[in-house]
Amino acid sequence: MAATIFSSLLVLLQLICVIVVVAYLLTRSKLFIDVLDGHPAIKTQIILILVFGILSIYGTVSGVEMLGAIVNVRDLGPMVAGLIGGPVVGLGAGLIGAAYRGSLGGVTVVPCSLATILAGLFGGIIWLWFKRKFCGITVAVLFAILMEGLHMLLTLLIVRPFDQALTITSAVALPMILANAAGMFIFAFIIENLQNERRMQAERDTLLREMERKNTELAIAAEIQQSFLPDTISQIEGFEIAAKSVMAKEVGGDFFDVIPFEVIPLKKGTLGIMIADVSGKGIPAALFMALSRIVVRVNATWYMDRPAMAIRNANTIIAADSRAGMFVTLFYGILEVDSHTLTYVNAGHNPPIICHAEDELLTELTATGIAIGALSDAEYTKETAALNAGDIVVLYTDGITEAENAQQDMFGEERLHEVIRAFRKLPAQEIIAAILKSVQSFCGNYPQSDDITLMVIRVK
Amino acid sequence: MEITTATRDGATILSVAGRIDTVTAPALEQAINKEIERGNRKILLNFSAVSYISSGGLRVLLATAKKLKNPGDKYALCSLAAEVNKILKLAGFTTIFFIYPSEGEALAGW
Repeated sequence: MAATIFSSLLVLLQLICVIVVVAYLLTRSKLFIDVLDGHPAIKTQIILILVFGILSIYGTVSGVEMLGAIVNVRDLGPMVAGLIGGPVVGLGAGLIGAAYRGSLGGVTVVPCSLATILAGLFGGIIWLWFKRKFCGITVAVLFAILMEGLHMLLTLLIVRPFDQALTITSAVALPMILANAAGMFIFAFIIENLQNERRMQAERDTLLREMERKNTELAIAAEIQQSFLPDTISQIEGFEIAAKSVMAKEVGGDFFDVIPFEVIPLKKGTLGIMIADVSGKGIPAALFMALSRIVVRVNATWYMDRPAMAIRNANTIIAADSRAGMFVTLFYGILEVDSHTLTYVNAGHNPPIICHAEDELLTELTATGIAIGALSDAEYTKETAALNAGDIVVLYTDGITEAENAQQDMFGEERLHEVIRAFRKLPAQEIIAAILKSVQSFCGNYPQSDDITLMVIRVK
Repeated sequence: MEITTATRDGATILSVAGRIDTVTAPALEQAINKEIERGNRKILLNFSAVSYISSGGLRVLLATAKKLKNPGDKYALCSLAAEVNKILKLAGFTTIFFIYPSEGEALAGW
């Protein structure tokens, strides 16, 4: 008895191996993509019908004798065929399986053949019910259990004498249901795995495309930004001006956080200087930068002697265009040769620093108004700073003071002040190099997340 | 950055903890927008646990202010750390936002 059960189990195991191999090969083949999409082509349907029809025949052939009756998985092929390919495929596979079963004869020939056809048909109906998709493991296994229950019921209803039908069904009912459910579970499990894999693949593809799009956007934005950087910096008698913009390389961060410095030739003996920083990143920020730069430039040229009015006007125009809360902090100043002064409007920008040659003391040119674009009717005032020979003016964006090291410490104003004091006697260009080097050594290998823009003016 | 949302006296309070930088600012913007879309138009941002805010973060604050300017809307910040207050002040934003020392003082007028 024990040996019989053991050999029966071995045969069932063999059966399951065949199912696994068929399921694997099928799901790996190209035609299965067609199947998962819910609209299998005619050719695919024919292949499915044949494969599952043969599987159904194999299910019959491989039947295991148990207590005088035969336990088989004939219905499994048509069930799966229906569940993944629809009613036509299910019915086709069922008919093949049923035809073979019919050729064998025996007392249960009618209910067995009928059950096989119905298995395919019902599988197909479930497929339709689930909107031409596979129904998932739970429903599939439940279907297999109910289908085999129906198979037994048909046997009881059709086979006569009833006593014989009862003997057969009571012997095979449980093993049949278990074997078909197990086979179905394996199939469903493999199909579900494949679907998950495909979904993840699709997500990965979307992510890659998204990244590609982002990179393209960043490249375009960088180009826009780059195109606005002046090639050479206009100089004016009595001052030595140097500037540098170091864009962040890595994606993310405030890549496009800066309107680079700007030198506007005004009337003779004066020079406009501008440093600015746009909030945000990407193409929107780059375009906002371009817009702001032009608007400020036009107004600065128009109101040449009235910088506060120039910024006020520029702000009104820019604020009307800033819906996403974008704003730009900006320092606009006019250097005057004769009077040796810097007249400026600071619209919420990091205060530029004057390092006085006489006593090494530092003066901050603090805000004289709010960041541009924030408030449409904002007021701005101008201030004037006197400059003496040897004085240094350092204009910077927060990419300097907010540069971080691996510990997320920021470079900060203190360090900036120290560097300015230490190198104040160098030419403007070298002061810039010294500041950048200091920031770099502070940050170490930690990547620069924000653009850095610096302008240094040395009074001759 | 972490955001905890609570309701008090009919106002929606978003308590933010951590750094609001370019990376985290979009999450704050989403959280605020979600509340506004739900019809919660009395928004108080509690910044007691915010250590730093970047210009990208300020942009979110400004964008929210532009959304909440209908009659009956309320929008304020409270419990700012000195460092954060300084950043807001630099850009001139302390003049355009309602800023209160505590939640209670902010809600007292609503």
